[in-house]
Amino acid sequence: MQPDALVAAIQFDPDFFLKFVFQPSPALIGGLAITIYASVIAQAAGVVLGTLSALAGMARNPLLRAISGVYVWFFRGTPLLVQMFIVYFGTPYLLGGIDLFPRDVIFGVVSLRGAVLAGIVALSINEGAYMSEIVRAGIMSVDPGQTEAAKSLGMTYRLTMSRIVLPQALRVIVPPLGNEFNNMLKTTSLMSIIAVEEMFRVAQAANSATFKTFEAYFGVALYYLALTTIWSTIQGRIERRLGAGTSRSEQPGLWSRMLGLSRLRPDGGGAR
Amino acid sequence: MSSQPRLSHDILGAIGGVPRPPTDVVVEATDVHKWFGRLHVLKGVSMTVRRQEVVVIIGASGSGKTTFIRCINHLEKIQQGRIFVNGHLIGYREVDGRLVEDREQNIARQRQEIGMVFQRFNLFPHMTALGNIIEAPIRVRGVPEAEAIETGRALLARVGLSAKENAYPAQLSGGQQQRVAIARALAMKPALMLFDEPTSALDPEMIGEVLEVMKELAREGMTMIVVTHEMGFAREVADRVVMMDDGQIIEEGTPEHFFTSPTHERTKAFLSKIL
Repeated sequence: MQPDALVAAIQFDPDFFLKFVFQPSPALIGGLAITIYASVIAQAAGVVLGTLSALAGMARNPLLRAISGVYVWFFRGTPLLVQMFIVYFGTPYLLGGIDLFPRDVIFGVVSLRGAVLAGIVALSINEGAYMSEIVRAGIMSVDPGQTEAAKSLGMTYRLTMSRIVLPQALRVIVPPLGNEFNNMLKTTSLMSIIAVEEMFRVAQAANSATFKTFEAYFGVALYYLALTTIWSTIQGRIERRLGAGTSRSEQPGLWSRMLGLSRLRPDGGGAR
Repeated sequence: MSSQPRLSHDILGAIGGVPRPPTDVVVEATDVHKWFGRLHVLKGVSMTVRRQEVVVIIGASGSGKTTFIRCINHLEKIQQGRIFVNGHLIGYREVDGRLVEDREQNIARQRQEIGMVFQRFNLFPHMTALGNIIEAPIRVRGVPEAEAIETGRALLARVGLSAKENAYPAQLSGGQQQRVAIARALAMKPALMLFDEPTSALDPEMIGEVLEVMKELAREGMTMIVVTHEMGFAREVADRVVMMDDGQIIEEGTPEHFFTSPTHERTKAFLSKIL
């Protein structure tokens, strides 16, 4: 490529770009699938780990509190990329040659590449540390009077948490949780570095095969943008549903907020 | 007043009659001491409450009256003394004469027999009025859902809130919320009801409707301990009034005694401010 050609014209191949985006190769569709299921699984596992860590962090037992504290401290304080390398490349050395993530891992009828599993494990553990703080803030946002009322009715700690406190904490947890999932959809691209064939890895391969660098990377960016946009609308709906009963008027949804539309509550709202 | 609920004269009929405490002495507290850090808030409180008795505790804020009734269902720990409800030591096991906090499940079981109504209602905001009432009977007592709903509806009817069973707490007035909270506590068929300043957070026009429900409960024979400044309520239904000051009981007697001839200077000063 001559330098003056770079200056003279924009090097953009619309045909390649449109084909890349609108007639995706099986590899890109496969990458999209991995990106979606890795995000969903890692986020779900992160919520579970985060909730357990938050409860441990607020427990009376000092050992539980310490475990939670160290977990959050370590996994929020070190890069995810490094954690992924530790999980995938490091653990066989730690375990004296036992490879937790061989080429193929079989779960009943489902088989998974070891690297994918390692990536999901690293994403889950890392996400759990962030979710721990979010869930903790959610639990602390619930009026202590709620716990007292539940206790005075004879509820155990378990019932009080599962039926009274956590459902109310959800209202505080869901907005940042949505942002975490938005991040997760994009962060899965880090798995490309441990050779997981997710979307970004597929775009890199397309680039090396064709040298259509801008088209491939911008094309895959649009895929991520589509995923996060779809997620935002889903998140808006969830938040609206969680608002039921907690205020006199319904919360406006994402699009209503963006477009300035208002929805009226069918039963007319407050009833003093 | 238009906000007065249409009260049934058989509220406890909704839960199958007056829950009968198993022992004649329902509450037996002896020499209860509590410290918040270095602050000595209960300095040897003793009290006996018999079956179907209504005891009203009065006293200035900071006198320890709220703390004391919170100790009765172990929402607060005590450092010395003993509290028995229905003959069971509350919150603790005695090991070599010392108090050791009991297992959580045991404390939860003891609390099932003690209803509590809070100043700030503390209804569960994510559940409807009926949902608030049936939650604990179903989850804690294991009552079948259909039966819990039937009892819950009967209770709502008798506190005058049949029309509100599907309303969320945020859609109810303070007085309505407190009546739901009373129904919620009653749904567990407790042997004892504790009321912690149940009308202090209410607008004046709503106090009457809550007091009506409480008076009716008292007349029907519920065993009750009520922390309140409502001397009208005390005069009408209390068997005994207890004056607390600085973490101690300083005077105790019939409502009549407090209205006509209080003896303690602090009592006189306090009553002159609230009457």
